[in-house]
Order: sequence, then structure tokens, then C-alpha cells
Amino acid sequence: MAQPRISAYLPPDIDPTKAALAFGRRALPKLNEELQSPRLLTQQRALMALCDLVHDPEKVYQAIALGFVDSLKALLVHPDQTVRQKTTEVLSIMASHSVGREGLIRSGVISALAGLLDDPVDICRKNTHQIFDMLARLPEGAGGVLQAGLIPPLVLKLKTELDEIQELILGTLSNCLRVEVSEALAAGAVTVLKEKLSHPSTTIRSKAAWVLLEISSHAEGKIAVCQEEVIPVLVSLLEDTQPEVQVSSTGALMFALVTPQGRSSAMGVEAIPPLLTLVAEETSKARLNAIKTLTLLAELPEGRQTLLDHRDTFQRCLDDPSEAVQRAAEIAITVIDWKP
Amino acid sequence: EVKRQRRAQKQVLARRFTREQIQPGTPEPVEGREHVHVQTELYLEEISDRIIEVDGECQTDDFLDRPPTPLFIPAKSGTDVATQIEKGELFDFDIEVKPILEVLVGKTVEQALLEVMEEEELAQLWSHQRAFAELRNAEFAELQRLEEQDRRIREEKERRRLEHLEKLRKQKETAEKIAARAFAQRYLADLIPSVFNSLHDSGFFYDPIERDIETEFLPWLMSEVEETLQKKVLGRTMLDSLIRTVVENRLDEFSHPPPSAQTKAPDEEPGATDAAPEMSGEADAADQPVTEEEETDQLVAEEEPSDSTSPQLEE
Repeated sequence: MAQPRISAYLPPDIDPTKAALAFGRRALPKLNEELQSPRLLTQQRALMALCDLVHDPEKVYQAIALGFVDSLKALLVHPDQTVRQKTTEVLSIMASHSVGREGLIRSGVISALAGLLDDPVDICRKNTHQIFDMLARLPEGAGGVLQAGLIPPLVLKLKTELDEIQELILGTLSNCLRVEVSEALAAGAVTVLKEKLSHPSTTIRSKAAWVLLEISSHAEGKIAVCQEEVIPVLVSLLEDTQPEVQVSSTGALMFALVTPQGRSSAMGVEAIPPLLTLVAEETSKARLNAIKTLTLLAELPEGRQTLLDHRDTFQRCLDDPSEAVQRAAEIAITVIDWKP
Repeated sequence: EVKRQRRAQKQVLARRFTREQIQPGTPEPVEGREHVHVQTELYLEEISDRIIEVDGECQTDDFLDRPPTPLFIPAKSGTDVATQIEKGELFDFDIEVKPILEVLVGKTVEQALLEVMEEEELAQLWSHQRAFAELRNAEFAELQRLEEQDRRIREEKERRRLEHLEKLRKQKETAEKIAARAFAQRYLADLIPSVFNSLHDSGFFYDPIERDIETEFLPWLMSEVEETLQKKVLGRTMLDSLIRTVVENRLDEFSHPPPSAQTKAPDEEPGATDAAPEMSGEADAADQPVTEEEETDQLVAEEEPSDSTSPQLEE
């Protein structure tokens, strides 16, 4: 039964790991000061509290306005692993908000994170790569990653890291390579990606094929892809059971077959039958890419001959609900019917 | 009063006991005997006037904290009134706790919702981006394909153009060659007759007999003629020399006439005339230039006309 007496004890502290939050507007500035305190425990507790606060976009905005990112950058090189782990976690949550992303890119956090790529703790590295992945989706972020010269180390890490982290690295690479490809080619990215295409994990296969897609959208990338004989591997991936892998590999083929050498090597590996099966499936996501690839192959005389027999498959594609697929099917039919 | 009475009674009793104790004393000792005070207790004790003093100490305890003031419960005053709150009269806990609970749960759920919304938002963004990326890639691939096609067509056109140019050039060259050939042919058509004519004119085609006659017979003839002429000339020169010597001798003789000179002169004449036919006979076999040389020393003037005639004959 509640009693009207005021107790002399303080209320119980339910979570001793978190710092106590000041009320209202004062919460974040106080946390900022606590982050800079020399005591380890205070810093850790402040970071834990910050992690919870940062899920709110308004708090993120306020935090960036207060200059939290600089104090967090200073903490990235802290010798204690909990501090580093929590700091990277805070930064990754901030990066998942748009405001956070812009703020992070502006304050140049990418170069500070470059030093954490070799961190001994797994979680720190995972968070770091998550931050890179999310920042790279913005064009300024991709530019920042490229400027920091992070592509060669990332390609090297691809060979040695854990699977989860590899997925994140592949995501980062695909976004950055959309912009510029020469550094990655110099670091031998195509060879590494070719190995990853035969990885047991679905996500890694599809992401590796996506990265190859981005590489082959550039001219020098196409040449490198043809030289390394990646096209036969991609064609074998067309028969993979997972739809994402099919989508990515057809996309990569779509770009790589623009060059004549690519086309001849694809014809040599008998790429047409699997592509036709992909086009015939009504619900396949890879339909659009497959139609485009077949259009490219139809420009070769042998391809045109083979595809004349399958013209009705394309006719059926004209009824697809997606407008892009319809257009692509029309173009394909035009190319097939073209006579010199 | 009751207590006083009791106290008084106690005092009286106490006096009586003391009296009784003092009255009976010990009888007087018998003769020869002496009363000695002896202690018969178990433990002997020393009796002295000095009162046994025992020191005793007393110490107060440490100061205890003042115990908490006992709750002040004022003395009861006034009338006792009791009241009892039945269940449900003051407030209904379930209803009242609702807003508080709502706030508590709400905060937690809000936090959780934020996190979930974040993830959802991100997933939406990524799927949106992915769809856009697919479309963009498709369009980009189309663009590249068209570019490639365009490039191929341009290259093809360029190649054909170059081929055409090459063909034209070759045609032109061939036409020029044909024209040159025709011209050369025509030019050279006259060549053979003219060549033959010129050769004929320059004497390359010859009748062998004629040539033979010309090359051998005529020179021989000419040389024979020359010889004959030379012989004649030689004869003449000999004659001239003879005449000269005779004249000189005669001159010498007439200047200083030695008798032997006359006989010598006629000896010399037949000798000279013998020498002349001998020399003419020799001239047949001897080399012409040798005789010519001997004679040219002496008779250059006579030789000159004969020299001029012989080349004319040779011509």
C-alpha cells in the first residue's frame, strides 16, 4: 500500500550502463561533455545513452549541429574496444538517416574511418563497413570514398574478410564503381569478383554480379571483363536457382556484351537458351535485363538466326505490365527483324 | 498512609531484633580457662579495626547517539473518529494507472517504433533505389548498345568509304596505265621501223658479201693502190733525191772540181737507179709506215699531196 511518506532513498537505477540523461534540450550537450571526459566509464555510459537517442532523426540533427561528429571522430582511435564499437555503432545509426549522412560526409568522417579497416574487433569493422555502405549510396559519399583512396584496400579486404562484411564491402564497391572504375581495375578487382561468383552464399553471388555490372558499364571495365573471361561464369550463373543472382548476372551480361569480343565469347558459351528461359518466365525480375541482353546478341547474324525462331516469346513480353519491359521487347523485335 | 504505617511497623520490628541480639552474651570463663576468640568458619579471616576497603571504580559508557526521536504521537486528545475507505471509493487503480502506463509504454514503444521505422524507411529507400537503378541500367545498356551500333555503322561506313576511295584510286591508276600503255604503244609503234631505218641507215644491216667486199676487198684494194702510188711517189722522191744529189754533186764539182767526183757521180747514178727499183721491190714487202717515215724526213713537201690523196681514196 502506498504510503504518503517521502522516501529517503533515490529511485533504483534500472540501467547502470547508461548515463543519466539531462532533461529536454540539455540532454545532448551534456552527453557531448561527458564524451570528452577523461574517465573511461563516463565515456562508455555516454556512448550507450547516445546509441539509444540517435534513433530519433531530430536528435540526429541536433547532434550534428552541436558538433558531436568531431568528438566521435576523436573517440574512433580510443584504445578501449567498447568505446570504439559503440562509436562506430552510433555513427552507423546516424548514417541511416539522411540528415546524418549529409552531416557525416561534410565533416569528413570517411578518412577517419579508414584507419578502422584493420581493427581486431569484428563488430567495429562490421559497423565501419556498414557506414561506408550507407554513405556510398549518396553520390557525394561515393565521391568521398573514392577520394579517400579506399578502393584498393577494400578490394584487398574482400579476399580475407568474413561473409557478412564481404556483403557490405560489395555493396560499397558497387556504389562507388558506378562513378569511376580505374582504381579498382588496377587493384585486380575483376579476378577477385570472379572467385566470388562461385561463393556458396546467395547474397554474395548476387552482389558480386552487381559489382561486375557496374564495372562493365564503363568502357575499360568491359575490356577487363572480356579479358578475364568472366562471361562464361556469368552465363553459368544464369541457370542459378535464386532470382537475385539471375537479375544481377543478366544485368552484368547486358553491359559486358556491348563489345564485340564479349558478344562472340557469349555466343561461344551458348548464352541464348538460358536467356530465353528467363524471358519466357512471366514473373521473373530478370526479364528486362534478359531482353536487353538478347537484343545485343541479336545484332550478330548467328544470334539473329537463332532468335528468329523464338520471336513469339518476345511477342508475349509485349503484354507485360511493366512499361520498360514492353519497350525493350519492341526494340528487341525490331532488331531481330532488321535486314541488312 | 498505608506505606507510612508499614514503615513504622518495620522499624519497630528492626529495633526488637537488634535488642535481642545484644542481650545474650557469652558466659564468664571457667578458672583456668581462657576465652579466646576463635574463628570457626571454614575460611579464616583477618579481623582488624581497619575496615576492609575495597576500591571500586565506575565509568560511564560512551555516549550513545541520540536515538531517533520517537515519533511524536501527541497525546490523544479529542474524540476518536475512525473512517474506512472501501475498495473502489477513492480511486480505481486500473483506470488511474492507465495514463501513467500509457506514458511508460508509449515511450518504449515509440523508441522501438523509431528503430523499426528507420529500418523500414531504409529498406523502402533501397528498394526504390534498386528499381531506379534497374531502369537506369536498362536504359544505360540500351544507350551503350545503340552507341555500339552507331560506332559499328560508322566504322563500316568509314571502311566502305575508304574502300571506295581505294577503288577509285586504283581505277584511276589503271586508266592512266592503260592510257600510258596505249600512248607508249603508239609512240613505239613507229619505233621499230624507225629503228630499223636508222640502223639500216647507220649501216648495221649489211649484206655480208657487200660488207665483206667493202671491209676487206676495198681496203686491200686501196692499200694496194696506195702502195702503188707510194711506190710511184717513192720513185719520184728517189728521182728527186737523185736529181738533188746529182745537182749538188755537180754543184760541188763545179765549185771545186775533184777528178774522182765525176766517176762517182755516174757510179752513184746507176747505184741510185738500182736502189730505186730495189727499194720499190722492198716497198712491196716492207712496212709502208717505215718507208714512209724515211721518206717523210727528206721529202715532206712531196708527201703531202700524196697523203691528201690517199685518205680521199680511202673515203
